[in-house]
Amino acid sequence: MLDQEGMALRAELFRLFEGPIDEPLDDDVFDSLARRIFQYQFTHNAPYAAYCRRRGRFPEDVAHWTEIPAVPTAAFKEVPLVCGDPGDAEAVFRTSGTTAGPERRGEHHILDLSVYHASLTPNFAAYLCPDGTGLPMLSLMPPVAQMVDSSLAHMISVVVDRLGGEGSGYYAAVGSGIDLEGLHGALERFTAEGTPVCLLGTTLAFVHWLDALRERGIRYALPPGSRLMDTGGSKGRRRIVQEDELRREYAERLGIPADHCVNEYGMTEMCSQFYDSVLRDRVRGRAGGVRRKVPPPWVRTRVVDPDTLAPVRPGEVGILQHFDLANLGSVMAIQTEDIGREVEGGFQVLGRAAGAPPRGCSIAMDLLLEAVEGLGR
Amino acid sequence: MTRLDAWHLPGVDAAGVREWTERELVDGLTLRTPVPEPAALARVIDHIRTARERSLAHRPVQDIVAVIDEAAARLQRPDDPRRALAERALPALTGYSPPMIRLILDRMLADWRKDALETLLEAEFGDPLVLDRFRPGPAGGRIRAFGPELAFHIFAGNVPGVAVTSLVRSLLVKAATLGKTASGEPLLPALFARTLAEVDPELGACLAVTYWPGGSAAPEEVAFRAADTVVVYGGAAAADDVRRRVPADTRLVVHGPRLSFGVIGREALREAEVERTATAAAYAVATFDQQGCVSPHAMYVEEGGEVGPRAFAERLADALARVQEELPRGRISPEEAATIHQLRGAAEFRRIAGADIALHEGPGTLYTVIYDADPAFAPSCLNRVVWVKPLPELGDVVNAVRPFAALLQTAGVAGAGDRLLDLAERLGRIGVSRVTDLERMPWPPPTWHHDGRGPLRELVRWTDLDE
Repeated sequence: MLDQEGMALRAELFRLFEGPIDEPLDDDVFDSLARRIFQYQFTHNAPYAAYCRRRGRFPEDVAHWTEIPAVPTAAFKEVPLVCGDPGDAEAVFRTSGTTAGPERRGEHHILDLSVYHASLTPNFAAYLCPDGTGLPMLSLMPPVAQMVDSSLAHMISVVVDRLGGEGSGYYAAVGSGIDLEGLHGALERFTAEGTPVCLLGTTLAFVHWLDALRERGIRYALPPGSRLMDTGGSKGRRRIVQEDELRREYAERLGIPADHCVNEYGMTEMCSQFYDSVLRDRVRGRAGGVRRKVPPPWVRTRVVDPDTLAPVRPGEVGILQHFDLANLGSVMAIQTEDIGREVEGGFQVLGRAAGAPPRGCSIAMDLLLEAVEGLGR
Repeated sequence: MTRLDAWHLPGVDAAGVREWTERELVDGLTLRTPVPEPAALARVIDHIRTARERSLAHRPVQDIVAVIDEAAARLQRPDDPRRALAERALPALTGYSPPMIRLILDRMLADWRKDALETLLEAEFGDPLVLDRFRPGPAGGRIRAFGPELAFHIFAGNVPGVAVTSLVRSLLVKAATLGKTASGEPLLPALFARTLAEVDPELGACLAVTYWPGGSAAPEEVAFRAADTVVVYGGAAAADDVRRRVPADTRLVVHGPRLSFGVIGREALREAEVERTATAAAYAVATFDQQGCVSPHAMYVEEGGEVGPRAFAERLADALARVQEELPRGRISPEEAATIHQLRGAAEFRRIAGADIALHEGPGTLYTVIYDADPAFAPSCLNRVVWVKPLPELGDVVNAVRPFAALLQTAGVAGAGDRLLDLAERLGRIGVSRVTDLERMPWPPPTWHHDGRGPLRELVRWTDLDE
């Protein structure tokens, strides 16, 4: 539950979420709100405050939002990072991971779902539906009732409910995977009607689906205006699909051109998401720029030196840190394990540390944990 | 601009190569390898097999030892042009710092000299002449060992020298030898092969080394069909892939990734000793920047000594700072650095949540020591990140590492005193293949039963002659 200051901050955030999505906030405006939120989190989030104290960073000394200590995402696996009592959270999102392994799953406690919902909807609409909402949304993710832990399932349920048109639905279930027949019927029907659709899912789900379509020799020519949102990269080690190869397949198999394929970049530890700007650029007549992710006005992304964590020069490769004001009830400043670089008007994600292979003959940490799980079976 | 030929293919002339793969390293160095065409590779294989049949199969093993010894001796000389190239190119290729590369080269080359090879042959066969002719067997009659006709080696990883050791073993048992190098370190095996061919063209004609991207079906099919023995380095996925693709009657030797750890008893924690112990532990961690299968992920430290586990972690961090001066940590990728920050952050938050943890960090990501009172084995993300865990009794380490039994390799032990034999017995039972001291931890002797098996014996078959 948010206290009085929390409610005041929430009200300011709601105003921000309703504002123009393309106009970055003046740094002064962002800075003053960010530092108020830092003060709020320092006061109410004890583990985070302890982390800041160990770094000698106190709200009264932080002169600019860039000095706010960022929390490594791995910390969410160790301790509830929440402004208040974890038991008061309206939802707890958990990072994916197997239950059998010794690896703990990260937990993001969401004190106030209304902040989350209010931030995700306009951002999604701006980048997936810049030409107007109301398309049927077909999800390759199971309904949220089957995946209560998943922030992605939750997000998809919100956008389907709020922005999806008639005929929206879920074409996957936990345990049985993608409902190929059901999805096939729906796509044939919408194609016959000439109704463009919006497909949503993880990149891995799309890869599996495309494999199945190839095996069966099925190809769709979805009506013009159809689009898709994929997310998460193809982390499966067996078949790593390059992004451009995947987009060729989207065009070939589904009839969705590359500028209607929007990759989402999000994480359990963050309430806000980032989207490729391709579709929005195209609709607004600004196509042709480099494919990039664009932070909404209430998020600032910094690229920092992988060794020292100092900011790098524009364009240099480094670790991504996000300052997400929508993380009001947890921690705003997040240090990821993602590698990226700043580009004109946004940033690009170049890789994720998870799954980086060892260089020598020792064993990588995640492979080791995986191996032990395998041995235990 | 210097172009380095990172290949040695008997019967192939650079002028006749249609297509090259080139890779730019730093300061004007370029590495090139021919794009392998299956037909050309088949010719190379024919070439080395014929050469083996003609010469190597009939040469006394002492002869082979002498040739390898001379090749290693040349690469030991600072003024040798190939040695100089290796010192210049390997830091750029592998990321290891130049002093680390020099250390690795010196240590590895010593293993390919005559004394080391003879010791290896004797350790493996007792009477190495079984490789040359029938010799009296231990139970009467005579015995004779035959190496593969063609051994195909697939290398992985970036630790220089590992691949060459594998080639040397193969040649010692008189196999025509084809090595596919790893992208992480394609150079030293080729330099070694070229040096060997210069010392003795006849032996050099039985050895081929080149690079192609791992998993390339066309050249690998050719090699899999031709080889009677395949030696694979790499992870479970790579080994599974090879297992599916080699004919069922082909002998397959797999060296997968392995896991090592340190165990430190009270005797090594006395004030007078602890400095030495910490320094040895620091070298074990720092060598290969912890990328070696012999590199420890964790140090298990016995409680009740003059210096306790928690204080030892601090000593280890100090020692790592000193070792950094002599053997600087190499270049790591942004992903690797990001993982180090995550691991540190996770440890710090666990401490905040009340766990008994102490974190010692070097500047940037140079080294990290995490004291953690939870004895459960925790893997390191490598690049000089090491856990220190307490043990009430030395022998308790066995239970701590048991969940990882199938992956265990080296235990570096200090201060076990008269408990060493018992500890080794118990570690051996669960699968540890080498118990040594911390100083020798990074440098297994050539005679080591590599991952628990005889490095030469696992390559040969026997013929018994009853008389």
